[in-house]
Amino acid sequence: MGEKSWGMVIDVDKCTGCQACVVACQSENNIPINEEEHFNQRRAIEWIRVERYWEGEFPDVKARFIPILCQHCGEAPCEPVCPVFATYHNDQGLNVQVYNRCVGTRFCANNCPYHVRFFNFWEPEWPETLTNQLNPDVTVRSRGIMEKCTFCVQRIRRTERESERDGVDLDDGDRALSPACVNACPTSALVFGDFADPESKVSRLKEQEEKEDGRAYRLLENYGTEPSVVYLKKVEEGAKSASHG
Amino acid sequence: MAGLISLVGVAVLAGTVLVVTFVISAWFGRPIVFGYDDGPAQPIAFPHTVHAGVGPLLNADGSPRLDEEGQPQRVNVMSGLGLDCTFCHRMAATEAAATIPSVGLCMSCHVTVGDGNDEIEKLRQAADTGTPIDWTRVHRVPDHVHFVHEAHIRFFTERDGVPASQVCSTCHGEVAAMTTVRQDRSLKMSDCVDCHRDNGAPTDCTTCHY
Ligand code: HEC
Ligand code: HEC
Ligand code: HEC
Ligand code: HEC
Ligand code: HEC
Repeated sequence: MGEKSWGMVIDVDKCTGCQACVVACQSENNIPINEEEHFNQRRAIEWIRVERYWEGEFPDVKARFIPILCQHCGEAPCEPVCPVFATYHNDQGLNVQVYNRCVGTRFCANNCPYHVRFFNFWEPEWPETLTNQLNPDVTVRSRGIMEKCTFCVQRIRRTERESERDGVDLDDGDRALSPACVNACPTSALVFGDFADPESKVSRLKEQEEKEDGRAYRLLENYGTEPSVVYLKKVEEGAKSASHG
Repeated sequence: MAGLISLVGVAVLAGTVLVVTFVISAWFGRPIVFGYDDGPAQPIAFPHTVHAGVGPLLNADGSPRLDEEGQPQRVNVMSGLGLDCTFCHRMAATEAAATIPSVGLCMSCHVTVGDGNDEIEKLRQAADTGTPIDWTRVHRVPDHVHFVHEAHIRFFTERDGVPASQVCSTCHGEVAAMTTVRQDRSLKMSDCVDCHRDNGAPTDCTTCHY
């Protein structure tokens, strides 16, 4: 486990709102099935979601999409409020949630401006036919525990270990390393990589787009949370930047 | 009255001592009061002593098997067996799980070896009907912990310059001398993390919990 700073670049211009990332995440990470009732109670669990905004009036309307997941903030508001240190920042730039340490105060979710932390209000259940498709590399979270996007840390760990075993360097953009959402995205709107490596794809995108008149922005930047997710806004003339909230 | 009070006092004291002993022993992750048990019974009494032990052929209880003249008996084909651990636990050096061998691997010998032995008949029956054997797990970390054999075997084989099969005893004890496999080391979090600290291995929570 070398010094890393995992992060993501999301090109909103490329997002078609197809929800493939949501489905991929759901099945990679053993997330319980959300039913209508869960949404109505605002207790659905979606580590990544695609928010939809309408612009204009019918018939001249446009749909805008923006995928939102845990921003793995450098100055994460969720971390200092945890009374038991179940959530902390590790040396790879991940905002970690240690499920077995969590006692379920939900302070972290209250303090998160992005609404990307989810509480398990129920014991997770799957239909009998689906129990064999659970991912053995991911802990099933029981009732009373907070959970959220991990950047698919299980995939990072495994690829790191296998590259060490085989004596090869980690490959930037390796599909085995990238989170499920990134792999599933048909338009490559999501890119995952190591910001500590100036040669990585995410670093180069960020550098290029943070220049004058570049497209880079971050969600709720003014809060000083220093997210590890960089968004690239729409290129369309006259489009409002699809900022959150 | 005084007698009653002192009786209650003694009872309370005894209770406290019992509870404290239990808590302390549980704290160190090793139930010293009761000790580790002998390991669960298995659907087929598979003895590591016979297969993995080195030297002359052993009885299932570990004592040397004697021939009619009272001499230590050797099997013609493979004296003392002494099979390498990774011959059966094939993935130990390459993957997360060491894995238990399939019935097919056992049968590569037991098609011919062991006529008349009840346990081996069970094995052959399983092979005939194509049913896997439902071995009982001995070592198991909880679901929220991810253990990986490969990284450990790699580290210790490289550091000590020994083959993989000599690393196993660090955590599993001398399995080759066990008739039924039992746990030998607590393998609780403190046990894992202590060794990780001593060897400069990662101790970040996401090493083991995710
Ligand atoms: C002939 C094949 C064979 C060989 C060789 C062998 N094992 Fe096993 N081992 C098994 C089988 C079958 C089981 C499952 C039954 C049991 O637990 O007794 C097992 C179980 C185990 C377990 C317990 C697994 C659990 O459930 O937690 C450990 C630990 C183990 N072996 C270690 C070793 C070590 C160390 C060696 C080398 C000294 C070794 N084995 C050699 C076949 C073998
Ligand atoms: C390399 C060959 C070989 C393999 C592979 C092998 N065995 Fe054996 N096994 C032997 C020999 C040799 C004996 C001793 C036979 C005797 O007692 O004469 C033996 C004995 C046994 C016995 C009887 C022990 C006793 O004395 O009570 C059992 C049970 C057994 N094996 C089960 C298994 C199982 C289960 C497997 C697969 C995990 C397995 N064996 C794989 C060679 C093998
Ligand atoms: C660093 C300690 C350690 C070492 C070294 C080690 N093991 Fe294990 N082993 C464990 C732990 C912990 C478990 C329980 C894993 C789990 O529950 O996922 C286990 C489980 C097993 C199992 C049963 C589950 C499985 O993974 O298939 C077998 C078989 C086994 N070990 C064999 C071996 C053999 C063979 C070796 C040597 C090549 C070895 N182990 C070396 C700690 C160790
Ligand atoms: C006898 C010492 C020892 C014990 C006991 C031990 N470990 Fe380890 N472990 C190591 C060493 C040394 C490494 C580093 C290997 C390397 O450098 O690649 C390691 C690496 C690991 C890794 C892989 C880290 C990576 O590179 O991704 C995991 C996971 C792990 N240990 C989990 C555990 C768990 C869980 C336990 C307790 C059940 C445990 N270990 C017990 C010595 C130990
Ligand atoms: C080297 C591996 C390893 C590391 C690193 C590690 N743990 Fe653990 N942890 C374990 C094991 C193994 C267990 C299970 C012990 C048992 O058998 O009950 C455990 C259990 C726990 C439990 C108890 C859960 C329960 O249900 O009783 C908590 C809480 C916990 N770990 C928190 C942490 C935190 C917080 C960190 C980071 C500071 C951490 N662990 C780092 C291996 C590890």
